[in-house]
Amino acid sequence: MSSPFRILLKGLILTLFVALILPLFPDMGHLSGYNRIFPGRKRLPFGENPARAYNLSLYNLDAMFAAHEISQPKAAVEYRIILIGDSSVWGTLLKPDQTLAGQLNQRELTFCGKTAHFYNLGYPTISLTKDLLLLDYAARYKPDAIIWLTTLEAFPLEKQLTSPLVANNATDIQGLIDRYDLPLDPHDPELVHLTYWSQTLFGQRRALADFIRLQLYGVMWAATGVDQVYSENYTPPKTDFEVGEDAFHNLQRPLDESQLAFDILSAGIDLSPAPVLFVNEPMLISQGTNSNLRYNFFYPRWAYDEYRIQLAQKADENEWNYLDIWDILPNHEFTNSAIHLTPEGTLELASNVIDALQVKCEE
Amino acid sequence: MTEEMIATLKKFIATEIARQPDRSIAADEKLISSGLIDSFSLVDLGLYVEDTFGVRIEDTELNADTFDTLEQLAALIQSRQ
Amino acid sequence: MTLSNLAIGLLLTLVAAFFLNAQKRAFFIFIFSLVAVYALQPALPIRYIDFWLPTIGLVLVIVLWIVITPHEIVKSRENIFTFGWILLVIVILGMTRYLDGLSFLTASIPPRIEQIMSALVVFGILILFAIFWAKNKSIALGGIILVISLLIAIKYQPITIWLAQTLRSFNNQAIETVTAFDIRWLGLSYIAFRLIHTLQDSIRRRGPTVFLQEYVTFIFFYPALVAGPIDRLERFVKDLRAPFSRSNIEWGFIIERLALGLFKKYILADSLALVAINPQNATQIQNAGWAWVLLYAYAFQILLDFSGYTDIALALGRLIGIKLPENFKQPYLKPNLTHFWNNWHMSLTQWFRAYVFNPFSRSLRGTSLPAWGMILLAQLLTMTLIGLWHGITPNFVIWGLWHGLGLFFHSRWQNVLRVRVSNWATTPMRQQVVNWSGILITFNFVALGWVWFVLPTPQKTLDFFSLLFRFG
Repeated sequence: MSSPFRILLKGLILTLFVALILPLFPDMGHLSGYNRIFPGRKRLPFGENPARAYNLSLYNLDAMFAAHEISQPKAAVEYRIILIGDSSVWGTLLKPDQTLAGQLNQRELTFCGKTAHFYNLGYPTISLTKDLLLLDYAARYKPDAIIWLTTLEAFPLEKQLTSPLVANNATDIQGLIDRYDLPLDPHDPELVHLTYWSQTLFGQRRALADFIRLQLYGVMWAATGVDQVYSENYTPPKTDFEVGEDAFHNLQRPLDESQLAFDILSAGIDLSPAPVLFVNEPMLISQGTNSNLRYNFFYPRWAYDEYRIQLAQKADENEWNYLDIWDILPNHEFTNSAIHLTPEGTLELASNVIDALQVKCEE
Repeated sequence: MTEEMIATLKKFIATEIARQPDRSIAADEKLISSGLIDSFSLVDLGLYVEDTFGVRIEDTELNADTFDTLEQLAALIQSRQ
Repeated sequence: MTLSNLAIGLLLTLVAAFFLNAQKRAFFIFIFSLVAVYALQPALPIRYIDFWLPTIGLVLVIVLWIVITPHEIVKSRENIFTFGWILLVIVILGMTRYLDGLSFLTASIPPRIEQIMSALVVFGILILFAIFWAKNKSIALGGIILVISLLIAIKYQPITIWLAQTLRSFNNQAIETVTAFDIRWLGLSYIAFRLIHTLQDSIRRRGPTVFLQEYVTFIFFYPALVAGPIDRLERFVKDLRAPFSRSNIEWGFIIERLALGLFKKYILADSLALVAINPQNATQIQNAGWAWVLLYAYAFQILLDFSGYTDIALALGRLIGIKLPENFKQPYLKPNLTHFWNNWHMSLTQWFRAYVFNPFSRSLRGTSLPAWGMILLAQLLTMTLIGLWHGITPNFVIWGLWHGLGLFFHSRWQNVLRVRVSNWATTPMRQQVVNWSGILITFNFVALGWVWFVLPTPQKTLDFFSLLFRFG
């Protein structure tokens, strides 16, 4: 007799089996339709309105990179340059071809007799540790050069682990702390740890759903080329400030080097798989009320000025290829934040960056 | 009586609806759910039954749930005669 | 319908199936259906209207039951009790305004109790009036017209918006933010068709005589409230009155359909929804190949969503002894359009066959039209009305005409070529070729039809068609 209860029981046992066996296959993220069925994405997955952006935020680095065009095999004639940075590199409000990487690619440059291809590995949260995490992961894609854009907001030590991408990749971050001896606490409560139970199907259902949605949105990415809501209506950044608005996080004047993540920066540059061009990125310089106190929403003048001096010193001491272009753009080239650029602003940035890039050819 | 009725109905369906006068239709062959009789011809069949046997089949009854074979149709007609 | 709504419904139904005898089971279904009418109603921005719409629906159903039911039955003791229970449910739901823990039973906060009471007095007078006055066929016909008018009012956006504006200004609410979504009436499309069916049958003196409790249960039966299927009263009541015992529960059917339905609706259809065409992405698609992918995704999404929903409804119904009719039988695997429509949303197409197509075809027989003309007219009328049932817009009309013409051409083709095709298809191999080409053509015809269905305007639809057929 084929009792319905037996069917139910079989179904339950099978489901449990699949659910509990899942932790044994942590590399699910490598399975991807990107670069096979649909083209790789031109920037890392990130999206706050998935249904309209055909893009979503998730924390599985394997899945994120597998969805990116950088996962394609590197051709012998390719000169591979990766761009690391925050949302200004990722390109908030910019279409994929308008981002810094997109505009650099349009120049069809050749280095050392190879075709230059720039990869956008920027990601919208500001933290040097987040940059280091992505840089470290990207080493496997054999870059020939690295362009790393950053800004003071990425430096405060207390901000390093607050990026959700960092917090949800605790094991990788602990590995980085160990290897590079970073001034961070490997047991920081910000870091989210996985137990065995949370790795089963029950614990991983959100991650699994995200992974499936990332694949499904691959269809929409392929069909439309849309990977963000390119909103025309945005609020411009703040340019008027109150008297007394001169704090930078909870840091004291003068700016204390030990509160900033210079060690993380040097670790990234020293241990990088390829030569690094390090850029202090452009920002909006307010001319509104009390702008003698603050440059913009992010920075009081005292903190930013001291940061630039310290950074220039470090770069000089360590012989970094350092480009400081903090003030090259007029205010109308910024969109909805003091660091987000218009397509034209990005074009100007691209010219500056390319002039500073030092290419070393292998013999 | 029943067999005669089935023969009459069969002849009507084969010639007027299926338009294949030589087609054989078994008494238990599915007529409606198989698509042999489409919805429009079903109304024709209803009118034919009304004219021939004096039995009305309501619009709500012209479907495979009420009758789907010659046998079932004949039984329905007889139950109302 | 959210998964948590479904879980509550399933749990209570299981409890009822296990612990209640036949009579108590019928009473449980009745009360639970009444509550579901309020609990599943979506919350609306116009104040209190998400309480009044279900209430008006209930009063309408009571009045129409009075119209179709013999006088002596209406006044019987059982029905007086049923009136009392309905009144009690409305009052208790109204009281949730003052009971925090039960607020999930209504879409948003109900009106103040004195408002509800005054409304109930008015409704009571209306019902008494119906009992003593509404006793002839023309009133049943008036009922049909009233129900159709309601359908038009919520399906024709200009009227819906006008109504919403009127209600907003009556409530002193902002008029500028008005949209057609201000008035959404849970399940009205399905409720209306059940009402019209019973009214029309009563005009033809066909339908069964049922108690008010049975009638209310039939109209608002909770598994079928949101998206059908549309049952027939005589069939439904037969199940409701049949003896019920736990040992007769068909667990195999229930478990299979429930699992299948959940999988189809909440996993497959919800995933396909991310990649199915919609008004937003239709204008963003860059090439023909992906346009086809998105179109097919929609075709399967709508099937899996709707048939998955029906599977769940059928499973829930069966659990308490109601065998709701099937709605889908592998419609995309049918070799022609006529077969497709015999297997797609079957309870709706059977309704239209019984109340539109058959009577209209009969009436055409008296005219001097040629046979093909009658077929064309009957198909076009029926399919256009099915289109309009989804919403009164040019696109739904064209979608209806698309299928009406498709059905007409198929029936012509049948007449001309059936014999020739069956003479050619003499080997099993050839029969397979005929069958599968039919399936492929039919599916693509239906899929292309969905473009009219899913996009809002003819212009957008034509743009999408030109994208689909733009090669190179």
